Amino acid sequence: MKKQILAVSLLAASTGAFAGGHAPCGDVVIGEMNWASGEFLARVDGLIMSEGYKCNVEYLTAGTMPQITSMTEKGTPDIASELWANAAAVAIDAAVAENRLVKLNPAPITGAGEGWMVSAAAAKAHPELKTIDDIIARPDLFPHPEDPSKGGLHNCPSGWGCQLATANLFRAFDMEAKGWKLIDTGSGAGLDGSIAKASERNENWLGYYWAPTTLAGKYDLKLVDFNSGFDQDHWDNCIVKPVEECDSPKRSTWTVSEVVSLAQVDFTERAPAVAEYVKARTFDADLLNKYLTYMADNQASGEEAAEEFILNEEATWSKWVSEDAAAAIKKAL
Amino acid sequence: MDWLTEFPELGRRDLRDFRKGIDEGFKSFTREYGEGIENFFDPLLQFLIWLEKLLLATPWPLFILIVAGLGWLASRSIKIVIGSAVSLFLIGYLGMWEDTMSTVSIIIVCTLLCIGLGLPIGIMMSRSNRAQAIVTPVLDVMQTIPSFVYLIPVVMLLGIGKVPGLISVVIYALPPMIRLTNLGIRLVDREVLEAADAFGASPWQKLTQVQIPLALPNIFAGVNQTIMMSLAMVVIASMIGVTGLGQPVLKAISNQYLAMGLLNGLAIVALAIIFDRISQSYGKRLQNYRGGQDE
Repeated sequence: MKKQILAVSLLAASTGAFAGGHAPCGDVVIGEMNWASGEFLARVDGLIMSEGYKCNVEYLTAGTMPQITSMTEKGTPDIASELWANAAAVAIDAAVAENRLVKLNPAPITGAGEGWMVSAAAAKAHPELKTIDDIIARPDLFPHPEDPSKGGLHNCPSGWGCQLATANLFRAFDMEAKGWKLIDTGSGAGLDGSIAKASERNENWLGYYWAPTTLAGKYDLKLVDFNSGFDQDHWDNCIVKPVEECDSPKRSTWTVSEVVSLAQVDFTERAPAVAEYVKARTFDADLLNKYLTYMADNQASGEEAAEEFILNEEATWSKWVSEDAAAAIKKAL
Repeated sequence: MDWLTEFPELGRRDLRDFRKGIDEGFKSFTREYGEGIENFFDPLLQFLIWLEKLLLATPWPLFILIVAGLGWLASRSIKIVIGSAVSLFLIGYLGMWEDTMSTVSIIIVCTLLCIGLGLPIGIMMSRSNRAQAIVTPVLDVMQTIPSFVYLIPVVMLLGIGKVPGLISVVIYALPPMIRLTNLGIRLVDREVLEAADAFGASPWQKLTQVQIPLALPNIFAGVNQTIMMSLAMVVIASMIGVTGLGQPVLKAISNQYLAMGLLNGLAIVALAIIFDRISQSYGKRLQNYRGGQDE
């Protein structure tokens, strides 16, 4: 009996909210990526959709490839907040062309990118290392752990696409002849561990990483300027291919990473107001780093960080949502 | 009745502070002592690098010959000799020679370390029940704790590479050596010991000339188990940058390369069987005299 009353009153409350605001957006499944910034973005979206637009939000947590496959093949989740589109450009473009998926927000994060980075300690102690050429000239500053006479470049774990690109660029910059060796990190955990260890002890570190990430934010890793041109054709047909298939790699900057908010077309039609919000929201790199660091320092989940964000950054998010939604979110606080 | 259905758990904030406290404590520990610990392990790293270089520089026919020779000395079985030579040749033929040498070098160092550490600890355990009561639960933890759990602190302390990989392998592979040494010595007949006493043997003589020789088959079973378990850890050790056969396996997993994973996995199996047959048949031959006595 008690439950029924509760249900009825809940229903009343929710219909009441619709009456004043938007058309009901119904059920939404948000694709939550299984890394820190992906979690955070999905949870901010979820909070805003459930409080501001009264959606019935569910989360589906997975990595990039399963999310894309599920979105193109199964039509769920409805929206992926932070999707690294390079991983499956062909599949996404095909679905976009068929008008099933839409790149609702082409750049939800500013300053997203990948490439070779140096630790904050190295950047601070050696401001003269401005470009990759300056760094390559000084292998003594980044000694290889097993052969200190050489410089060490931390490569991606084997199996990741970036491993091939790093290995080919290593050849393109002729680093072996200049006294460098690649360090195989073995796994994502190994790569992260090497960064955490070096940064905690203020040691120099050089290797592949990407931003925005907890580690890049927390340890303030600096992206190295590659001081080179970019040729898409050469990148696609040589740099990202196995070493045997890329005979003469040429120096190149890292490809631009396309990070998008990808949504089902029928979802944008079902909930146009929510779609407007997704189009408008952009996380600036510093802001995102602030919350990633918050998550790392407090071992907080994306959900907790999103709550913190909604509580503290009203000036930012209120610009993304409609007035009614902003009022509803404020009320929920 | 809420208190019955709701478990009385630590508040979210307290729990977070608790975890943070441990993490921060460990981080300041690594900042303070990390370099010292790294220097402490440096000779080990140098030895590992030296051994790997030595194995890689050894001409391949010589290496196969040495393994076959060891097989013959240990087992006197032509089947084992031919089997090891052929499988090593196949490994090399299929392009896995260098990775195999890296793996063999880490397994050799790991086995030596385990014997060096495990034998004295096992002997100590067999002589004192109190030591056994203290060491046994530690061994249980070492064998059951998921290796990823101790990979985190090991990497924070020592970075990635050979030494941290070796340490995580040793943590996993050491317990059988200790356990079986302890067991072997404890299983030595009381009457034999009494006879030794009657001949006026000192405790040291009793240990080195009676107990250890009689426990050798068990100790060898321990060495055998240690080798097997360290081979099983090769893939996990590769996750923190140990070169060897584990790395192509990891690569195969993340890229869905069936053949590559299978070949390298089978190379690990082949190594395991070679080591196993050689060390086991040696252990068995040590026991031959027993058969003679019974008849």
